Amino acid sequence: MWSNLIAPRLVFLSFSVTLADPIFQESQAPVLQFDAIELPEDTEALREEVRKFIAANEDLIGTPNSDFTTGHDSEFSARLGEQGWIGMTWPKAYGGGERSFFERYVVTEELLAAGAPVSAHWIADRQSGPLLLRFGTEEQKNRYLPAIVRGRSFFSIGMSEPNSGSDLASVRTTAVRDGDGWRINGTKLWSTDAHRNHYIIALVRTDPASERHAGLSQIIVDLKEDGAQVRPIRNMGGGEDFNEILFDDVYVPLDRVVGEPGNGWQQVTSELAYERSGPERFLSAFRVLVAFAQAAGAKPSPEAAAVIGRAAAHLTTLRRMSISVAGMLEDGKSPEVEAALVKALGNDFEKLLPEMVRLAVPEGGDLDEGWAEFRARYADTLLLSPSFTLRGGTREILRGVIARGLGLR
Amino acid sequence: MSTRTLLLDTADRIFADHCDKSLLDAAERGEFPEDLFSLVRENGFQQLAMVSSGVDLADALAVLTTAGHHAAPLPLAEMLLANRWLDDDAGLTSVGLGDASGARAVPWGRRADRVIAIGAEGAWLLEDLAVEAAVNLAGEPRDKIQAAKSQPLELKEDGYLLLALSRVALMAGGLSRALELSLAYVNEREQFGRPIAKFQAVQHHLAVMAAETAAALRAADAALAGIDGERAEEEVAVGKSRVGEAVRTVAELAQQVHGAMGYTHEHRLHHTTRRLWAWRDEFGTEPVWERRLGETLAALVAAEGGTSLWSFIATRA
Repeated sequence: MWSNLIAPRLVFLSFSVTLADPIFQESQAPVLQFDAIELPEDTEALREEVRKFIAANEDLIGTPNSDFTTGHDSEFSARLGEQGWIGMTWPKAYGGGERSFFERYVVTEELLAAGAPVSAHWIADRQSGPLLLRFGTEEQKNRYLPAIVRGRSFFSIGMSEPNSGSDLASVRTTAVRDGDGWRINGTKLWSTDAHRNHYIIALVRTDPASERHAGLSQIIVDLKEDGAQVRPIRNMGGGEDFNEILFDDVYVPLDRVVGEPGNGWQQVTSELAYERSGPERFLSAFRVLVAFAQAAGAKPSPEAAAVIGRAAAHLTTLRRMSISVAGMLEDGKSPEVEAALVKALGNDFEKLLPEMVRLAVPEGGDLDEGWAEFRARYADTLLLSPSFTLRGGTREILRGVIARGLGLR
Repeated sequence: MSTRTLLLDTADRIFADHCDKSLLDAAERGEFPEDLFSLVRENGFQQLAMVSSGVDLADALAVLTTAGHHAAPLPLAEMLLANRWLDDDAGLTSVGLGDASGARAVPWGRRADRVIAIGAEGAWLLEDLAVEAAVNLAGEPRDKIQAAKSQPLELKEDGYLLLALSRVALMAGGLSRALELSLAYVNEREQFGRPIAKFQAVQHHLAVMAAETAAALRAADAALAGIDGERAEEEVAVGKSRVGEAVRTVAELAQQVHGAMGYTHEHRLHHTTRRLWAWRDEFGTEPVWERRLGETLAALVAAEGGTSLWSFIATRA
């Protein structure tokens, strides 16, 4: 009876398959699907353009670091803006480039791989702009987006609070209606670069009687407003990247609420697929690997060669999965579970990478001049690495999202 | 419906219906599954990788993911490749590493009508065979073959590379099976008055398994897709490394969430986990392929600078 299943016989089947073919039929594998995606051919020319740009602007790169929160340089961001590489996918009406998610992907990954200073515009480009495009009013889009696109306007995220981290629905910062505006009181925490950026989009409770997911709104606050106090927090590596922001009766006009008051929770969760699947979720430690390979030389020890090969296997695979998610975004899907999965895998790898390579440094590598550059990159990254599995959703939260995707909760 | 979907669906129906516990146990006792073998031949699977089939090599070898999923106790990888190299599909031909005098670890060498030996110096079709039965740690026949005669065989491709790729595909299938069995088990097994799936510690184990399995499937698919390309060797290295690494995590956690039940011979989980543990060692462990890939990349970085490392990773497909 089996031969009836394939008639005519298999040998007659010679039509070609597309890259998107599943490796398993859906009925068989209860796993999340990450389709193969071939980047459009014209992205290669764009990639070359970005590489040339990086080479021409090497003076601004300084110490290369692939972590997206390091390197806040308004001049570099402005130059990127001139190239049309911020807000690439946005409508031209707001200054955007109306280019594909894949083109944006190529630009962002090239910048990160080179260790360029991308932190200033990163959140505005990745998250705040798309949020305004999806939920903002026409007036808000016209007011904020063109300056973001030019690399002149920088945004921070205002989600966590002293008593609200992973449990984001417990936020207590309030915005109370007062005449033609909102009066904001409370504290936001862990807001990266708020001490250097122009705006924060804060998740606040606009309905004082509300609990949990209801009654929340997102509100745009100019960090120069009276009553907004930004206090940098020193991290364990000695750097200042994240902040505490105190709102003491900060008054903003009514039209600063993004979308409908009360819709904050839906809006916040819709940001997550954008926030969680990009190349910044697995490339943070990449420059450590580059420095390691350079120090190891043309004839690495067997241990060093194996480490380079293993890291390359991880990175190549993570990037393919991340591009699969970019493809889902391009198709207008909301791949929240897939994005969480890529971030979870990518963050674990970012932490593993410095550990892997340090074990393959030869004896004397702690003193040898040839390993000095590696030691510096390793130290920078190791001291940042605890944040990799915390920011943008902790490892534990992400595993919960995946478990929900598997139908376990 | 694409060729690949049609092939995998058909293979899935055959293997799902026939590769039950009793067939797997019988195979471990050394009984060759003749009925399954006949069925596979009736459906033309033994011809899939032959150039004359018109099927892409990647699609043909993708069937191994289905075979791996069901732990099909046939030397399907060897059949596909041997028939490709001989350009005929008579009987059962298996493959092992060796030379003109014989081959080691030949899957079902005891039942094979013909055996091909592959070595650094070339390949040979072995004749007048003497068999010494042996098994791998999964109980799969891996026999030692001695040949009184042999004929040199010209392969126009890297046979070892294709055998390594076959293990990547088999492992990807086994991983999806380990995840499937584990998901089912944690939902049905109750402790403390509820399914163990409701415990966060167990949920996180499953999340890790799902992530590792998804990465392995993506890596295996890329290795298959790249087999005709310029970087076939590097993509197989990526696959053998990444999928092998996933095996370590997924097999361990699958056994853990199945508790003592999964440690019994009576349970079917071990047919999958033991195969995963065996296949990751065949045709080069993870570090063997990682060193090979790392040496290539280190030479590239030394010659062309640090950006060349990124260029390798940032492939279009």
